[in-house]
Amino acid sequence: MVVAVLALVGVFLTFYLVAYNLGWTPPIACGAGDCGIVQSSQYAWVGPIPVSAIGLGGYLALLVLAIMGLQPSAARSRVIPFLLFAGALFGVLFSAYLTYLEAMVIQAWCRYCVASAILITLVFVATLPELKRLWGRR
Amino acid sequence: MKRFYVIIAVVAVGGIAVVGFALRGGSSAASEPVDLGDIANEDLVALAQGMVYGNPDAPATIMEFGNYQCPACQTFALQIKPQVDLAYIETGQAKFVYYDFPNPGFPHSFLAARAARCAGDQDRYFEYHDAVYSTQQSWSRPDSPFGHFNDLAEQVGLDTEAFETCLDSDRHADVVTANLTLAQMLGAPGTPAIFVHREGEGGAQRLGGFQFIDIQQAMEAGQAN
Repeated sequence: MVVAVLALVGVFLTFYLVAYNLGWTPPIACGAGDCGIVQSSQYAWVGPIPVSAIGLGGYLALLVLAIMGLQPSAARSRVIPFLLFAGALFGVLFSAYLTYLEAMVIQAWCRYCVASAILITLVFVATLPELKRLWGRR
Repeated sequence: MKRFYVIIAVVAVGGIAVVGFALRGGSSAASEPVDLGDIANEDLVALAQGMVYGNPDAPATIMEFGNYQCPACQTFALQIKPQVDLAYIETGQAKFVYYDFPNPGFPHSFLAARAARCAGDQDRYFEYHDAVYSTQQSWSRPDSPFGHFNDLAEQVGLDTEAFETCLDSDRHADVVTANLTLAQMLGAPGTPAIFVHREGEGGAQRLGGFQFIDIQQAMEAGQAN
């Protein structure tokens, strides 16, 4: 349940960044930080795809998996807990890489990216009980 | 399960409200040419004011029709213009006038031209001009360069609130459009298009190139092309 709620928050957060990257929004609301520098850097894109869109896809996948995992029919599924854990682990590692880029390469911080990094870390922590259940069924 | 769906619904409604508020109305910034209506040529020329650098009373005028997103214009701005400044502008022999030529194919060039003119409202046009060209590769790629232009405004030392208000409007869109139309009327084939006009001579001459030697020859020979 916690994973689903956190993932939904992540969906909205990354959707805002996607909207910014695709020019649907006025100047990004930064407050503290250098969101513009980070989001305008070459690292904000992977080819033609904004990194934020990758994040959005990831959070959507985690949201769907979390909701599926809560259904009674999936109570004995081993695939869903594994995918949740693996997805969250990938998200944490990807976020760690992006945070490294902000700190060491771009040398500017985007508060939305930091918020997402914290969020995916919380998602990862929240999936740990799923892993425990996964091992417990063996 | 019922409690779960209630929580999800609350988060969803909250998220939609927050993101909707952030995206409200979208951008009102003019980022492409506007309709000038049925404007007379003399009115168009009056509207298409270039940005002047150097002594306004200098006997010669070196004009550039430039596009902030064009790599050749970046080369001109960062490598050629400093030589021109040193040789002719700072010595008072000529003034430099920059006209916007955001020709098609460069999606952010119109907005960049407006951004520079917003900086010009705070008397920092050419500082911003140099900053935009210096960082061309950074802002050309994203679909929305707003953040970068705002950050540049801060770096140049502008009143960022006034700058952002200007950029997120249609301010200067008519002047930039008039510049573009003027360039097309003059037959500028591409960017950068350089013209030199010397006092006492007829109309301005369009140069065949944009290297320093081209400008030097035009200035010294009194004729161009």
